[in-house]
Amino acid sequence: MIKVYSTPTCAYCVTLKKFLKEKNIEFEDVDVSQSETALQEMIDQSGQMGVPVVNIDGQIVMGFNRHKIMELLNIKE
Amino acid sequence: MYDLIIIGAGPAGLSAAVYAVRKKLKTLVLSQDIGGQIVKAHSVDNYLGIPGVLGVELMEKFHDHTNKLQVEIKDGTEIKKIEKLGDKGFRIIAGKEDLETRALVIATGKKYRQLDVPGGREFEGKGVTYCATCDAPLYKNKKVAVIGGGDAGQDTADQLAKYASKVYIINIADKLTGENHSVQEKLWQDEKIEIINTCFPLEVKGDKFVKGVVYSCNGQASQQTLEVDGVFVEMGSVPASDLVKDLVNLNDNGEIIIDAKTNMTSRPGIFAAGDVTDVPYKQMVVAAGEGAKAALSACKYLKTNQ
Repeated sequence: MIKVYSTPTCAYCVTLKKFLKEKNIEFEDVDVSQSETALQEMIDQSGQMGVPVVNIDGQIVMGFNRHKIMELLNIKE
Repeated sequence: MYDLIIIGAGPAGLSAAVYAVRKKLKTLVLSQDIGGQIVKAHSVDNYLGIPGVLGVELMEKFHDHTNKLQVEIKDGTEIKKIEKLGDKGFRIIAGKEDLETRALVIATGKKYRQLDVPGGREFEGKGVTYCATCDAPLYKNKKVAVIGGGDAGQDTADQLAKYASKVYIINIADKLTGENHSVQEKLWQDEKIEIINTCFPLEVKGDKFVKGVVYSCNGQASQQTLEVDGVFVEMGSVPASDLVKDLVNLNDNGEIIIDAKTNMTSRPGIFAAGDVTDVPYKQMVVAAGEGAKAALSACKYLKTNQ
């Protein structure tokens, strides 16, 4: 289960989501600017309040860290 | 081995990539992000043909264009080292990859000047942020402080006023600076916004997250504290030239010195373009033009140095 916590105006979020789509990875996109519950969930999980945050089966990646994400998803270039 | 590796994916880097690929150079673009500083820009009004475009939209247009030309881009990649590779070219360690290229274009732009006070680094991502376009929506009904009263600080305060309950601007100068008078007028009239002139930040306080910012005014010893949940730093930027500081000559401002006609740096084979260089106008349209120049010069260099 993959969740991306993002805001609509954050460019790193846009690139990250584009990257996942290019790799045909399905994910749930959570807009934290629209829901305080979702925002709190992101803060609790990541211990910080910057977007984007990706939750890959319980493992948290902050920012768009391409290598880390590819490693966790076990995908190649 | 690549013919050309371009470092940076803002207007300069991506424009260089378009020209390089069309010249059939084996090209790779490396970057931490795509779009560079423009993605932070709320609205861009001086790029020919698309007035009022959002920074993030413009970045997408650039990305679509380079995709169409099948430019190879690796973003989200940390570039660790660049070194000379005998007479053949250069070696780049990026993420876990070891890459080789005959020529380079450095288009890394600028990076933010960081808030170097106690707590400034510690609370980064925990209330201290450098990107209002990204994080402003997270501060709905909260109190925030903007550090910096220049154009970028004013723009940030204006964006934050849409969400936050109170926005303080801590400004080192005695009035708001810059030429954006329409934004300044808006800020003066907005009751949510309080401008604190001739003051500077001393410390960011908090527990897990930011709880306040301590500042002092007019050079006096007395300190005051604002209770805020967010600190948005807009203290200007510095050229992102650290990666190549041992390879090419920089000026006193840390900008890469280039030949104005060819964009070649002091080291043959390394070209540079855009805000990281000593080009006089740090503008997007200038950066795009400089990127094109750098790629065309690199192409010429590769032909004559087979």
